[in-house]
Amino acid sequence: MITAGIDAGSRAIKVVLLGDGDGDPLAETVGPQGIDQEARATWLCEKALEEAGLSASDVARVVATGYGRKKVPFAHRTITEITCHARGIRRLVPEARTIIEIGGQDSKLIRLDGRGAVRDFAMNDRCAAGTGRFLEMVANRFDVCLSELGDLAVRSKNPAVISSMCVVFAETEIIGLLAAGAPPEDIVGGVQHAIATRVAALGGRRVAGPVVFTGGVAMIPGMDRALEGVLDQPVTVAPRPQFTGALGAALLAREPGA
Amino acid sequence: MVQNCTEYAEAARNRGLHVVGICCEYTPRELILAAGGVPVCLCGGSQATIPPAEDDLPANLCPLIKSTYGYHLTKENPLLEMAELIVAETTCDGKKKMYELLAESRALHVLELPQKPGDPDAAAHWRAEVGKLARTLEERFETEITRERLREAVRLMNRDRSLHRRLARLMRRDRPPLTGRHLLCFQTLVAGIPEDHAAMEAFLAEHEGREPEETGGGAPVRVLLTGVPLPHGAERVLDLIEEGGGLVVCMENCTGLKPILEDVDDEAPDLLQAVADKYFHLPCSVMTRNETRLSLLEELAREYRAECIIELVWQACLTYDVESVHVRRLAERMGLPYLMIQTDYSPADSARIAVRVEALFETVESRRPAAVER
Repeated sequence: MITAGIDAGSRAIKVVLLGDGDGDPLAETVGPQGIDQEARATWLCEKALEEAGLSASDVARVVATGYGRKKVPFAHRTITEITCHARGIRRLVPEARTIIEIGGQDSKLIRLDGRGAVRDFAMNDRCAAGTGRFLEMVANRFDVCLSELGDLAVRSKNPAVISSMCVVFAETEIIGLLAAGAPPEDIVGGVQHAIATRVAALGGRRVAGPVVFTGGVAMIPGMDRALEGVLDQPVTVAPRPQFTGALGAALLAREPGA
Repeated sequence: MVQNCTEYAEAARNRGLHVVGICCEYTPRELILAAGGVPVCLCGGSQATIPPAEDDLPANLCPLIKSTYGYHLTKENPLLEMAELIVAETTCDGKKKMYELLAESRALHVLELPQKPGDPDAAAHWRAEVGKLARTLEERFETEITRERLREAVRLMNRDRSLHRRLARLMRRDRPPLTGRHLLCFQTLVAGIPEDHAAMEAFLAEHEGREPEETGGGAPVRVLLTGVPLPHGAERVLDLIEEGGGLVVCMENCTGLKPILEDVDDEAPDLLQAVADKYFHLPCSVMTRNETRLSLLEELAREYRAECIIELVWQACLTYDVESVHVRRLAERMGLPYLMIQTDYSPADSARIAVRVEALFETVESRRPAAVER
């Protein structure tokens, strides 16, 4: 059975096409999110089908996840990102007990039981503090792209203290630090440390290992090390972290009831 | 049922009765009724009255307090405008200080709650407070709370509580004949309106003692909702839960079962004492310690076969926020998934709350026997 998982996130849409068995996905596509989500998701699916040499009628089930999951008209079912990430990680890193997922506008900490199923979870509530959006703001401020931002952070020797977690207030704080002559790498290092602290706090005092880091922000260099520093334990970046949710959705699409 | 409250209060006032505002379930409605009063609930549930309230009150304060105060400023709550007296209480600090501002232009009596219900002096102190309220009502309305009048009021309130309890107990079934939202609609701002009692009786006559037929389809997730009350207008989280595939089978809060589980003994030799006793037992988070709430939650979770516990905490409600640690631990001990939702009256975070609620339900469903076998 061929299934598709579509993760309609706040900043990007990800599609995974999955065949039978435990093999790698048949295709993965990603593109930016926009107001015409339906058209974008359709186009990304077509692109994935083309890559895999398949047609839409070959796909048995489609599961949509992500914040735009209800607006994917060709999905058979919607499942939240929390369940989908847990399912994706169970496939990729079965021994994981904690998932930290940071996406465009959410950060989540998901605790897993011995079977790799969700035990409980916590996520940021109202604001974009500790998320990809926060890092985008910082990248814009330094006029670099997100990956270059990470390269800056790894060079930081003495991360600055950023106490504001509100995107708007933090921007003001960063302007102040720049004016005071703080080197950009230390400001970015400070931002990463602040995000890591914020996300780790979702887990309370005890975060059980192994810890897996996933979501789009996991692709940014330095973030995993910032998390390791705060959690005081190793943090593994999931393979192809941007696609974990879509992979989980495609896996869940195989199950009865999906 | 809320719609007819203003009309009822107006008619009562025209008959010479006194409209008395109350803001908390610790306030004994029996005393107000026995003094020829009509107790009306003033708790604000409207986002619209919050911005005006923030002229005087801090932004980082519970929305219930701000909304109630906003109605005071905008004079848009007809029940508040009709009230000859407001009976306030020292539950949380935010309310206490807000009442001082209300008292600048409205008649107000404050009941002082003991904070340590386990203390040997606490019950006597509360009994004295209830006595002082009785005297205030008698003096203000130039009347006497006789034993007969008090007993009549006790019986009316017992009947009111009993009807609400019977409705709530319909939710113990596998397929309850109503939703949590529907049950909340039987809540009213004025207790004991005869038409409301008749409507409840009619609903009970139709549904009690009769299991509805299986309708098929997936069973919704049975939710025990605890935490802060849901005043009229602030039902958003309840709606999100039930739209997301849940069924709130039990509400252990002040707009649910908490205040109606215990009745007053109408044959007690000292009726005022019996009234005081009933209210003294309320398991509110302002009390230290508040272990009764936890044992009640455990009992209700079993009785209503809850599959998860959702706790609602209004933003900046410190006592429920801190106490949620105990509730979370209880849920863990009982093996029930637990979710705490902290929010206010604005719909800004509805999408995020919906995600968390749906993810919680997915977790519950994955643990159901049929799913585990897969």
